[in-house]
Amino acid sequence: MDIEIEAENIYLKNKVGSKLDLFVVDFINILKKYMDYVVVSGYVSILFGRSRGTEDIDLLINKIDMNTFLKFHNELIEKNYWFLNAENPIELFGMLEDELAIRVAVKDTVIPNIELKFVKSQLDRISLKEHKVAQLDMYGINISPLELQIAFKLYLGSDKDIEDAAYLYEIFGVHLSKFKIKHFMDILGVKRGDYGFEI
Amino acid sequence: MDSKFDREQNLKERLNFVRYYAKWVKTVPNEIWSQQQAEFIDSLFDNAKNFSLTPEKYLKTIRR
Repeated sequence: MDIEIEAENIYLKNKVGSKLDLFVVDFINILKKYMDYVVVSGYVSILFGRSRGTEDIDLLINKIDMNTFLKFHNELIEKNYWFLNAENPIELFGMLEDELAIRVAVKDTVIPNIELKFVKSQLDRISLKEHKVAQLDMYGINISPLELQIAFKLYLGSDKDIEDAAYLYEIFGVHLSKFKIKHFMDILGVKRGDYGFEI
Repeated sequence: MDSKFDREQNLKERLNFVRYYAKWVKTVPNEIWSQQQAEFIDSLFDNAKNFSLTPEKYLKTIRR
């Protein structure tokens, strides 16, 4: 794997994009016109090579007003997406304001889908504000800081999540701050499991 | 015969494989691992079209 890290950018050149990557990028190209975002959770490890599928891609977004959401909603509908939770955009916006997630997919499909949530916790805000950018040949994708991503995966605690954490830890190795991982683990109350992490 | 499933042991074995795979990814150019990954993920992506749940049923399923 050829990775170069420079400031907030993680350069990953000559990656052969999958249909999942194209799905994510097409969506983000619309979304980023209206709001800030960061990709969190499983897709981050998949982006860097973990060989597994996923049914959803989790995005945190900054809080936006109703008018901005309506414009975003309308452009998605024009471009052949649909919302899985409701049709009415006012209802969808209300869900976001109630700190619930809404899901978007290509029309007449449900998988894969994008799960959108407003930032709500301090760690969400750190993810958004201190995001990294995975720079591929044709596009950049905002991703959660890797140390936070690893700690959060350990917090979630399913086998799949722990495997994602182990994968990122192995891939990024010396580029990671163990201090930051420990810090985020402490905030999340994650106990040091016997999973072979040198943390 | 003890048929009890040992989750911890299973997870350790899976983690060993994940680390082994990650080490392999680190040794080959991006074109190589990503081509293999794309073929695998594309097949899952194509197969998702056969997923027959409605949005309502899907949302109920993931809330369980």
